[in-house]
Amino acid sequence: MTRTRRPGISRRSTLALMGAGAMTVAAPWVARAQAKTIKIGMPTILSGRVAQLGTSSRNAVMLEVEKVNAAGGLAGRQIEMVIRDSKGQPQEAARVARELVNTDGCELLIDAEASSGAFAVHEVARDLGVFCIHTNSETSALTADPKQHIPNAFRTARQGVHDSIVGGSYAAAIAKAKGLKKWATCSPDYAYGRDTTAEFTLYLKRFAPDVEIISESWPKLFQPDYTEVVTKILQAKPQALYSCLWGGDLTSYIDQANIYAMFGQMEVFAVNMADYTALTVVKNLPKGIHSGNRYIKTFPATPENAAWGDAYKAKYNEYPTNWSWENATAVMLMAEAAKKANAADGKKLAEALAGLTIKCPFGADGTVTMRAEDHTLVGYAIGWGTTIPQEPYVPEVKAGDWKTIFELEAEWKKSKGYT
Amino acid sequence: MTELEARRAETLVPARGATTVWARYRDVLIALIAFAVLASLPLFTGSKALLDFVIRCSAYGLFATSLNLLVGYTGLTSFGHGMFFGLGAYSFGLIMQKLGVPIPIAFVATLAITGVVAAIIGAICVRLKEIYFAFVTLAFQMLIHSTILSWASFTGGDQGLRGGIPRPVFLGVDLSNHVHLYVASCALLILGLLAMRQIAQSPFGYTLRMIRDNAGRASFLGIDVWRAKLTVFVLAALFASMGGMVMALFVSGAYPEFAYWTISGEGIFINMLGGVSTFLGPMVGTVLLLLLNDTVTRFTEYHGIVLGIVILFFALGLRKGLLDFVAEWFAHRREAGEGR
Amino acid sequence: MDLDALVGCLSSSACLVTQTTSGLIIGMLLFLVAVGLTLIFGVLKVVNFSHGAFYMFGAYFAMTAYQLTGSFALAVLAGAAGTAVLGLIFERVFMSRVYGADVLMQLLVCYAFVLIFDDVVRIIWGPEFKSMGMPAAFQVMPLFIAGGVVPPYYLLLIGVALAAAIVLGIGLSRSRIGKVIRAAAHNPGMVSALGINTGLIYGGVFALGGMLAGLAGALAAPVRSLTPGMGFSVLIESFIVTVIGGMGSILGALIGALLLGLIRSFGSLGFPLFTEGLMYLFMVIVLVSKPTGLFGKEAA
Repeated sequence: MTRTRRPGISRRSTLALMGAGAMTVAAPWVARAQAKTIKIGMPTILSGRVAQLGTSSRNAVMLEVEKVNAAGGLAGRQIEMVIRDSKGQPQEAARVARELVNTDGCELLIDAEASSGAFAVHEVARDLGVFCIHTNSETSALTADPKQHIPNAFRTARQGVHDSIVGGSYAAAIAKAKGLKKWATCSPDYAYGRDTTAEFTLYLKRFAPDVEIISESWPKLFQPDYTEVVTKILQAKPQALYSCLWGGDLTSYIDQANIYAMFGQMEVFAVNMADYTALTVVKNLPKGIHSGNRYIKTFPATPENAAWGDAYKAKYNEYPTNWSWENATAVMLMAEAAKKANAADGKKLAEALAGLTIKCPFGADGTVTMRAEDHTLVGYAIGWGTTIPQEPYVPEVKAGDWKTIFELEAEWKKSKGYT
Repeated sequence: MTELEARRAETLVPARGATTVWARYRDVLIALIAFAVLASLPLFTGSKALLDFVIRCSAYGLFATSLNLLVGYTGLTSFGHGMFFGLGAYSFGLIMQKLGVPIPIAFVATLAITGVVAAIIGAICVRLKEIYFAFVTLAFQMLIHSTILSWASFTGGDQGLRGGIPRPVFLGVDLSNHVHLYVASCALLILGLLAMRQIAQSPFGYTLRMIRDNAGRASFLGIDVWRAKLTVFVLAALFASMGGMVMALFVSGAYPEFAYWTISGEGIFINMLGGVSTFLGPMVGTVLLLLLNDTVTRFTEYHGIVLGIVILFFALGLRKGLLDFVAEWFAHRREAGEGR
Repeated sequence: MDLDALVGCLSSSACLVTQTTSGLIIGMLLFLVAVGLTLIFGVLKVVNFSHGAFYMFGAYFAMTAYQLTGSFALAVLAGAAGTAVLGLIFERVFMSRVYGADVLMQLLVCYAFVLIFDDVVRIIWGPEFKSMGMPAAFQVMPLFIAGGVVPPYYLLLIGVALAAAIVLGIGLSRSRIGKVIRAAAHNPGMVSALGINTGLIYGGVFALGGMLAGLAGALAAPVRSLTPGMGFSVLIESFIVTVIGGMGSILGALIGALLLGLIRSFGSLGFPLFTEGLMYLFMVIVLVSKPTGLFGKEAA
């Protein structure tokens, strides 16, 4: 018998092999004893292209948890956060969430996942019955669809349909005043982009019936080059453009549209523009882009909100993001619910949380409410304004009217067959 | 007969008669013992995380071992094997959500769908050689992935299949029960491995090895190389699809990430980690990768660096998969002993 | 599908000019990345899976240099030179160890570095996305050519990429070094028997390939946001380009990149929701009808 290659096993590689073995023995499933502290698990995205989502969510949560702990904790129990990276993969999000509960002994979950990850964690919450607050998924169906509803899950993120109602009515007012009839849309090709754009145009046409959509573009999420999209829109010659691109995609788009001098040729409505992540990054921010508020410390124009934004900046040396306020609100609500229930137990917490109204710097009237019927946050500050290229970036924000939002939302739910 | 001896035997004519029968019984026996050990685990430990870990190992293990049928046994380096993992998860999830049939029917129907799709794609792909085979499988994978994303009304697009996968009780088996799901996953894993082992040790399995080593010679001997390659392509797809179904049951949904090329990449990585020249190499690789992933992500968000260094250690240090390394080390010891 | 828009555009000269140049722009930038990939494959027979990381480093180097010096020329130079050095080190220290090994081993080493490089960028520059900003010299009104719109910055971009294509094409076929490189690709044993250091050639080719990707990254930095992992989608696209054009063929990379650019620019008119799928479909068709790509040679 012949062997073509003789295995040469040196001492070095044997040692290396043992090293590899030692590295992998640290088994992750050794359960820990439950302590007096209460552990809150938080699956989120800390690596990859949207790592900023995870880091700014984590920053906000830690900022608030410190305050709660200083004030005595959750019903007398100090909070210990266990924050893990899901890499933005839904199966990892599900795995991490299960492990946080089953192995690490987390009694509550803050799910700071985006998009499909949130639905994966939602299934875990359904399966394990663990208390869970979704903080970053804005997809309306997560709470609006009764099939998704479970008593132990909540959402403190803004909801897509709220955004679109306010955006649609704001844009319609300007469309009427300036006679903008021909519109184009340009949104990322995934559920959030498609749903938000459809809802926005629905309400835009409702308030300004003679508006017509003459061109639609659907770039991929994280697409590096938008040239073909920019030129396509220029060809269509619309009077106004709506976009729900966000983050790095939005700034790429602005940079690339800028050199085609696109912003001088049409009114631009970019719902995700007024977030510090985009505002502070774009070097040549065009003046007069219409945008919804994400997080901005001048809206609501209250000392509480400004103080919160400054405290965050002082601690982390950067401004909060849209995700930051959504996560901070989750901790604030948990703290108040624990006070009301006088317990940190998930079940009692969930009962206390449904329908709870708390004072909050991000509230339209200084308060926010966790609506009892569908477990989603309402009453948060929501409005639109136009940008300028330096601080305060969006000098004036026109607040949306929650009464209108509620009416139209109820109608929308009916049309979707949710009620 | 150890794995290594099996490898040595490859160069000879495959042993026939009594030895193969004995080897087959031995494989079945090992499988039964392995299943008994795994299935009795919940009696000894209350750790749900351990059970979760084994379920995930089943999903990835089936997938990686099936990939090894292509890579290790036939020499077909597929970069798109993950498409069948995704296809399995999606077909199964969609059938359960839309039709509500008993689970075994959905299981068989999914295998049938996978078989048909794999036969069509395989018929086009297996004509190509080496790196071009790899590219065209990758292209098909990306095509399926973008179809899943685009066809949102049917597949749920990037949000995946939402609302959970219903699991009606069938003959007392309730897959929404964690322990039941665990035992079912173990059973699928063991059955799948046993079946793949039989394929690998059958005359057909030796035909594949001959094609890998010298396709021209196989052709001269009257073997229809195209048909043999297509057959193993479809077979491997079926087992990958099984893995996808286990994963769909575990997360109670299906997501486009399951059909993305990264799953194929992980499969290849697992194979390299565990070793491609032994049957159980991919299984060892699966356990290693999942352990590594689960451990490292607990301690640092810079897991890319850690994982990267471990990969470099395997690629530049060991230069082969772990089980290959161990097997050769034993062979080396024995040869040294014989020489004395 | 929106075929009316596509037909409408094909019959309007303004639209044709704008969409064609837009396809050219996408294609030429893609070409710069893809040509490095195809060059490395052609000579070293290695599929450099970590090529996207060089593009990423090029962009980050350029941004930092631009912030420090304020000069765009220096920024581009820093992006190209930095990645060239990186490529040389990467090849000499790591890749050169796996040349004899299985293709999968080479892939694995590259994959390891994709993971490592992304985290290194995250540690140095932070996880948030950044923007370099357009240099003042190019903040001007776009040009109008036959009714179509073309920004001056993109003319520069097309020019640089075209120059690179010509220099590479002529350099490889005419110059002495080019001949040695082609000889090394064909028969490395013979070349080293002639007393030429093949290691140096391999290192040089890898550095050149990395430099081209870095150059593309630096040129893209003013118009694309910078984030860890940004090289990835670019890698996939340039991968498609090289496979369509034929691995190892520079002309193939050029044609493949331009084709892909045009598919993108006209596809987005006619099939706004399936533009990406169109690219993969095209790749499948090419591979099935000619497995070695449009300009690839049949392997011996």
